Parts: sequence; structure tokens; C-alpha cells
Amino acid sequence: MIIGVTGTRLRRFEYGGWIAVALSGAAMVVGVLIAFGEAMSPGNYTNVQITWFHVAGAPGTFPNGFTLVMGTLVDPISSLMLVVVTVVGFVVMLYSIGYMHHDKGLPRYYAELSLFLAAMNGLVISNNLIEFFLFWELVGLCSYFLIGFYYEKPSAASAAKEAFLVTRIGDIMFLLGIFLYFSHYATAGPNGGWAANGFVFVHGTTPFLAPSIRGSSTLITVAGIMILGGAAGKSAQFPLHVWLPDAMEGPTTVSALIHAATMVAAGVYLLAVASLFLGFTSFDSLVIVAIGGFTAFFAATMAVVHPDIKRVIAYSTISQLGYMVLAIGAGFAMVGLYHLFTHAFFKALLFLAAGSVIHALGTQDLFKMGGLKKPMKLTAAAFAIGGLALAGIPPFAGFWSKDDVLSSVYSQLGAHPAYWPFFVMAFAAVFLTAYYIFRAWFLAFSGDRIRDPTLPAAHEGPWVMQVPLVILSAFAVGAGLFVFLPGFQGLLLGGAGVAGIPPAYGTADVFLSAVSVLLAAGGIGLAALLWGNGRVFSLADSSVAQPLRRLLLHRYYFKVGYDWIGAKGVYTVSRAADFFDRYVIDGTVHGLERMFGAMSDRLRRMQSGLVSDYAAYIVAGLLGLFAILLVVAPFLIARFGGS
Amino acid sequence: MLPLLSIVLATLLAGTAATFFAGTRARWVALATSSVFAVEVAFLFLSFSGWPGYSSALVPGFSESESYAWIHISWMHVNFTVGVDGISLVLILLTAILQIATVVYSWNETKRPAGYFGLVMLTCLGCFGVFVALDILFFFLFWEAVLVPMFFLIGYWGGPNRRYAALKFFVYTHVASIVMLVGLLALVFYSGASSFDYSAVYAAGHGLSTVVQAFLFLALFFGFGVKFPIVPFHTWLPDAHVEAPTGGSVLLAGLLLKLGGYGLIRWAVFVLPAGFHVDLPVVFFVAFLSIVWGSVVSLAQRDLKRLVAFSSINHMGIVLLAIAVGSSIGLVAAVLLMFAHGIVSALLFMVSGSAHHAFGTRDISAVGGATPTTPALSTFAMAGSLASLGLPALIGFPAEFSALLATWDRLGYWVFIPLGILVVTAAFYLWMMQRMFFGPPRGIPSEAHDVPWFEGAGMGILVVFTVLFGVLPSLLVNVIVASPIKGFPGT
Repeated sequence: MIIGVTGTRLRRFEYGGWIAVALSGAAMVVGVLIAFGEAMSPGNYTNVQITWFHVAGAPGTFPNGFTLVMGTLVDPISSLMLVVVTVVGFVVMLYSIGYMHHDKGLPRYYAELSLFLAAMNGLVISNNLIEFFLFWELVGLCSYFLIGFYYEKPSAASAAKEAFLVTRIGDIMFLLGIFLYFSHYATAGPNGGWAANGFVFVHGTTPFLAPSIRGSSTLITVAGIMILGGAAGKSAQFPLHVWLPDAMEGPTTVSALIHAATMVAAGVYLLAVASLFLGFTSFDSLVIVAIGGFTAFFAATMAVVHPDIKRVIAYSTISQLGYMVLAIGAGFAMVGLYHLFTHAFFKALLFLAAGSVIHALGTQDLFKMGGLKKPMKLTAAAFAIGGLALAGIPPFAGFWSKDDVLSSVYSQLGAHPAYWPFFVMAFAAVFLTAYYIFRAWFLAFSGDRIRDPTLPAAHEGPWVMQVPLVILSAFAVGAGLFVFLPGFQGLLLGGAGVAGIPPAYGTADVFLSAVSVLLAAGGIGLAALLWGNGRVFSLADSSVAQPLRRLLLHRYYFKVGYDWIGAKGVYTVSRAADFFDRYVIDGTVHGLERMFGAMSDRLRRMQSGLVSDYAAYIVAGLLGLFAILLVVAPFLIARFGGS
Repeated sequence: MLPLLSIVLATLLAGTAATFFAGTRARWVALATSSVFAVEVAFLFLSFSGWPGYSSALVPGFSESESYAWIHISWMHVNFTVGVDGISLVLILLTAILQIATVVYSWNETKRPAGYFGLVMLTCLGCFGVFVALDILFFFLFWEAVLVPMFFLIGYWGGPNRRYAALKFFVYTHVASIVMLVGLLALVFYSGASSFDYSAVYAAGHGLSTVVQAFLFLALFFGFGVKFPIVPFHTWLPDAHVEAPTGGSVLLAGLLLKLGGYGLIRWAVFVLPAGFHVDLPVVFFVAFLSIVWGSVVSLAQRDLKRLVAFSSINHMGIVLLAIAVGSSIGLVAAVLLMFAHGIVSALLFMVSGSAHHAFGTRDISAVGGATPTTPALSTFAMAGSLASLGLPALIGFPAEFSALLATWDRLGYWVFIPLGILVVTAAFYLWMMQRMFFGPPRGIPSEAHDVPWFEGAGMGILVVFTVLFGVLPSLLVNVIVASPIKGFPGT
């Protein structure tokens, strides 16, 4: 395991695509081995322990002391994540060799991509929240670099900045959440684990607080909301979702990584860890369910009209992350992670398939494509498999996990009627999901010819781009079935059993599954009807749906609004402050300067040279001094002297 | 035991004098001096008796202490007393790092190099003296000794408006020094301390009544605060930075601001704990004001140097906040943050200087897309920006993190103010990067060149330390907490 850790960390120093590929392959092997080991004998393995920050004090009492030990921890949940990160990471690296070969700045690309994966692996195996936060920020930094990889493009530079700043808002909330949890546990301190380990959330052994203490105070409620804020920033949940579609400015490989295994997965992972080992209050849970359910629906609506192939998939990511958040909020963290696991593979597949198309044609506009299924058979098949998995058609991976999400939330509706509207939203999103992803498929691949004849003739990429598609297709078909393997069950159970949360799969409601599959099939059918076989469906200009379409295309005007507040509003305040600084504060200084200048001018005239004048000054000065000594000083002493 | 601190002072003095008279070879002498200084600082670390298991007899709590009688008359004892504890040791390390980096960075200074390098040496000498002096008169002597070389550095080697800036700097900080001196002398005479030594003053200060302590603390707070600088007494800083030569800016931001923080901790907070406690509302208010004001005003700046200058006000505001929190973790955070800011702001001022050399302007909106032309400069700018906005694994993070944690512990939800401001800080740095270095090339003169080797080396030294202490902050934290921290409420 140590090799795995050092391996992943060392990769940042390596340059050259193949070295990076080889190392990420090695990391994949190690990651999968760790997961196998974990599946065989579940438990917690701690390796490295480094004292990072130590201010002495009585153990456990914060005002006097604070110790932070950085270390690694592998437990069932983190080994599950390791598989996702290392497998998807390796596949994307391999694909990059083909996809990026004509770009400049390749050493930078591979170095940043490696650091990205290393940071994500570090995050997964962190043994405390501060270390988690450290890697969390590094993940954010790498996505900033990679989204802005084409830094000459103003839109890319702007999107990178936007991603960093929007997630930074979430990070700030996360940090405050850490403080809140910290002080809660430092005072309500449980078993000696706290004092001995300093700031270690020993996740994976026993829950820190007895369930009776959990959810008892406002502090914990606020802390939960803050953690949610952090997760919402990273995982692009409403209302911090705006950065993710713009993050499409990066290379497609980066999008695949961000959307499947690294950046956005970090938020969901945080939420799952927090839910399992810190616990949420019922109010927190409701907020999380609301955010997740609403985002699942809200993002899906925006994907329905978009003409850009990458952005359609981007919205689908936001929507699917909503499902994960929904499940975690409803109390089924492992179900959320299970959906994260399957989603990682089919989402990476969709992005890499889209990348093949973009690589071949050089455009992302769906309305310029068409008829690609003949020249690009493999890509068309891969995209279709990814789409079926995303839509939730059995036996593809997405079906199993999405079904689990819906049925687990459904099982809570009796106890929490307030979840109903969000459950309905998530259910409706199933239909939309199936519709928009097959709209994209039909637009790009069906028909007999390409719509924009100026585009170059389509062709498949080199083998390094095809192999990843095959690997990921296999996962997209089969990953959902993993759940029937006893070892994988052990991983899910190992995490779930810890916090006393029952495993959710197997409780699937047959009726519910049938309805959701029918909805998905209906969505695909509608897409085929409107867009199939090269057809293009367009709304009449007079249609009542036109304003709605515009609203969706403009993303509900969120971006415009945020730009207005962020760029215009804050900058105006800042300009005003600068003006105040220059002319009022500094102006006062200059005023004083002039005043002293004038005074010294007067004083100079007092130097008259006449003895009588000086005598008068001396007498006046003495009188003043006496006045101070006799009147002011006794007053001050009488007023304050006693204390 | 060797009188190590006296030896260091003597070598610095000799080196400074030699630099002034070295003519065109001044830079070699300066480099030699600062190298020797760095080696001596390494010795200081090795023989630091604050490590667990050591103890020092002469001045409790201080290592390497020496004391020699200087003026002894019946009612007044002035001694030459020096010593270091964990706090001063960390700041001395900062001095050594910045001295070497500045000398290397300004390697090709052609305008009267002997004078330039001599003044740089003198500034560092003064700062070292302030950090080791444990006697009020010597402390003040060194304190003022820093002002003079900086005045000339700005006034002679500075930009077009240098005379105004130099004068403003001098008058502002000198008024503050006078108030501070009056406060310190009043402290001695009011309390009837037998000598000007720190230990005597320390004991005497604790014996004063709360009211007197409160008034004295306010005077000292103003005196040290102007150096910080605190809002609203900060307007000398942007002007001084804009006009100062790069080396001057580096020392000004990296070392001179730290004098204020160090003085406040050593001579005001430790010595007058009761007064500090009474005046806390003022201190907190000023700290929050500086944090918010510095960051918000930064966003509007077009001159890169002004931007960094205002971000300094923001960071030093966090230092003040961490001091005001009054817990041991807050104190550690304050010292750590001073060190971090010293390194990072120095790096950013070097970046500003190199940008000025490369593009002929520091106007952020006049230049765009510079990365292909000046990749190294762009990398250094990115590293400095990220470190300054508190990215983990760089030195700013452990410092800011512990400062904010301490603030949360003391003030609760008020911590939202500095936390929220972190977003603005990130915004103005990233926006600056986007405008100057990303996007299509714009406004770059054809003769623009990347940083020369010596400028790159100067910045490289700083980046190395930024990463080293960012990954392993315990290296510094262990030094800071090694000495007993006296005079804090609750300790």
C-alpha cells in the first residue's frame, strides 16, 4: 500500500506521456490490488504518520493546544474510490496519447494531469479532514490549470478562473464546517481517540459520537450545511453549479477526468464520508435531499436544448451528481457512492466517445454533425452503450445504481413526507435524461450524411483512443453487476455496516423499477421520434415554448446574474473603496500636511525677537501646565486611579 | 559558549561598512556578507537553547543571551542586552533568506551599486538588531536605523515620484516611532523599572495598574501599528512601494512590516497583558477593518505593485487578528503568517519588478497574454499568487489556517469575515493572472524578454522556501513553540 501511495505521489515529477501512462497504470494495479485486499479482509489500514502541526497543550483542550497528524488510511470506502480514480485515470491517460498528440505544452499537460490524479488519490486516503482539505484544494488547483490549459483563449482563461472562484466559495464553507466539527468534537470529545490522535477523524472504525449526541445541537446542523456547501461547490450542485458547463473549455480528456473520477467525485465523497462518520441532523438531510433532487431535475432541463455535445454531457453530470447527493441526504451514503462508481465509468465513456467525434471533426456543434455511425462504428456503439447506461436501461450499469437511489429515497418517503417533491423531480429527470442523451446520439450518429459538408471526413482515432473506449464500455455494461460479487458487496457493506446503515440494494421495488425503465424507454422513443434518422426538430418561432427554450439556453440566467453580482457589483464597491482610500483617507493626510505647513508659518512669525513676547509665551505655557497638573491630572486619577 | 549574537552583529556591521566602500565590487561583498550571515543563522538554529532539554540562565526564556553594561548611573541602567527566542529566531531566518534573495535579484544594479548594496545590508542589519535587542534603547536605535537606509533607497533609487514617497514614508513612520518611544519611556519611568532591560520592563509592566497599561498599550499599538500598517494609517505603504526600487520593496514588505508585528508582540502584548485585554475591542476592530479594506481595495488596483501592497495590508490584518486572539495557537499563527507573508510578498514584489523590466509597465490592463513571451515570469507570478491566496502545500496555508482556527475558537462566527474575504483575495490574484498572463498577447513590447538568470535565481530561492515550509510547517512551528511563551492571558 505504501508503494501505491508513493507511486501516485511521485508521478507528479515525471514528464512525457508514456511515463505518465505507465505510472498511472502501475497506480491502477496497486489501487485495484488494495481494493481486492480490502474486499478479502475488510478493515482499516494506516501507514504513514507525520506530525504536521503541533502546538503543545493539554490534550483535547483546544485553546491551549492543537496537534495535527497527517497520515494515510485505507478502508472499504476509500478502496472503492481508489479503484474509480486509478482505473479512470489510467484510461484517460492512455487516451490522451492519441487525443493530445498535436498539442503543444504536453509536458505541462501530463504533469498537471498526474498531479491531478495524485491529489485525488491523496484525498481519498487522507485520515483527517484537514489533510482531506489540503488535497481537496490541490484538486481544485489542478482543475484550474487544466480547464485553462488553452490559456491563449480568453474564454478558457475566464472559465478556469470561474471554476476556481465558485468552488472557492464552497471551500470556504467547508473550512468553516471543519472548524465547527472540530470544536464540537473537541469539547464533546468522545473516547480517548481524540486526545491521542489530535485532529483525526478516525473514519472506518466506530462512529465518533453516540447517535444520541449526533444531531443534538445547532452547531452540528450548521456544520452539516457548511460541509454541504463545500460539496456543492466541488460537485457543482445548485446554486454553485455554474462553473461546470464552462469548464468544457478544457481538453475533452480533462472533462472526462473531472466529471468521472476526480473533481466532482471529491464533493460527493466528502458528503458520503461526512454522512457516515459525522452524521447529519434531520434538517441537514432535508436540505441535502432538496438540493440533490432539485439539481437532478434542474440540470437535466438545461441539457434538453443545448447544441454542444460536451455541454449536454456536462449537464448530465450535474444531474447525476444530484442523484448521488439525493441518496446521501436520504441516509444512504453507500448507495450514493455506488452510483458514483458506475457513473464514473459510463460518464468517462461518454466523454471519450464525444472526444473521438471532436477529434475527428474539430467541432462540438451537434447540428453540424450527423450520419457518423458509418465512419465511426466503434465510437457510435460506445456512445450508445454510455447513453443506455446513463438512461438506466437494464442491464447496463446505470440502471442498477440509479434504481437503488430511487428506491432508497422511496423507502424514506413514509417517514419523511417532505422528501416527496424532490423524489418526484428526480423521477421526472429519468425521462429527461434518456431523452437528451439520445437526442445527442441521434443528432451526431444517425442519418446518412453529415449536416455541415465543410467538415473533414470522419474517421476513428488511433488504437490508443479505441482501447479505452472498449475498456470503459465493458465497465459501463458490467459495473452495475459487480454488486452481485460477494467481495464488492463487502466493500459496500463494510462502509455501510460501520455506521449502522442497512445496505440498500436488494430492497429495490420491482414496480418502481418498471416505471423508471418505462420512463427511460419513453424518453429514448421521443428522442428517436423527433431526431431519429437525421431528422431535425425545430420549434416554430411563434410556439409558446420559445421563451422556455431561450430560458433554458441561457441557463436560467444564473451565469448572467452571478457575473453581474461578482464582476460588476463587487468591482464597483472596490472602485469606490479605492476612491475613498485615495481621496478621503490620503486626502486627510494631505490636509494635515497643509495644516501643519500653515501652522509652522504662523509659528515662525511668533519668533519676533522681542523679549516681552517670549515672556508672555512662557507665562502662558506655565499657566497651561499648571492647569493640566492641578485640574486634569487629579480628575483622571479620581476617575480611573482606583483600579 | 561563544557570544554568537555579538559575532553576527559584528560581521554584519563589518560587511555593511565594507560594502559601502567596495565600489564596483559591492555586490560580491554583499553576497559574501549575506552568505556568512546565513551560515551564522544556521549556527544560531543549531545552538538554540530553546529546544527541549536546554535552559538558559541569564534571561529566562531567551537563548544566546548576552548582556554588557553600557550606561550605568544611579537611577538608570542601560545594558547592551541581546537574546533570541523562537519568535525572533524565525524572523531572523526570514531576514537571512530575504537578504540573500535581494542581493541576488539586484545583481545588475548599475546606479551607484556600492550605495545600493550598502543600504540593503544596513536595512537587514537594523532588522536583525530589532529582532535580537532586549533593551529599550537598543531596540529603538535599531528600529530607527532601519528607517534611514529605506528612506534613501526610496528617495534615490526610486521611481519618478520618489521624493514625495520617501518623505511620506519617513514622516509617517517617524511620527509613529516617536509615539512608540514616548510609550516605552513612559512604561519605564511610570513603573520605576531599574533598567531598560526586557526582563526588568517585563516585570515592571505587569505591575502597572490596568488603566495605565491600557493607555500605554494604545500608544504602543499606534506606534507599531503604523508599521503594520493598520487602516486608516496605511496610505504611506502603497506610495512607498510604487516608488521604491524592487529591492527596497522586497525589504519593505518582507521585513519592515514584520518589525511592527514583532514589536507589538514583544514589547506591548507580552509586557502589558492587562492593557492589551482592555484595548482588545479596538484591536479587533482595526484588524477586521484592515483585512476587509486591504482585500477589497486590491481588486480595484491597476498597478501590480499597488495590488500587492494592498494585499499586504490584508495579510498583516490577519496577523493582527491572530495576535489579538490571544491564545498560543493564535500567536504561533501570527508568527508563521509573518514569515509566510515575508517570503511571499517579497516574491510578488520581485515579480512586479521583473514585469516592469520586461514590459516597461506594471499596469495590469496594459499587458495581456504574456505567458508565451515570458514563461518563467508567468510561473513565478502564478506561484506567488497561489501562495498568497493561501493554497495548501504552500506556506500561506498552514499560517492562515491556524490563524482562522484560532479566530473561530475565540470569536465564533465572526470568522466569517476573514474567511469570506479569502474569496476576494483569490479573485484579485486570479483576475490579475488572467489579464496579464493569459489570453491572446496584447501590449507586449517587441523587446520584451523573460527574466534574466539572477532575477530568476532570487525568486527561485523564495519559491523553494515557500514549498518547503508549506509542506512541512512543523519545521517552523517547532521553533516558535520551543521557547516558553510568557505573558499571554491564559498561559
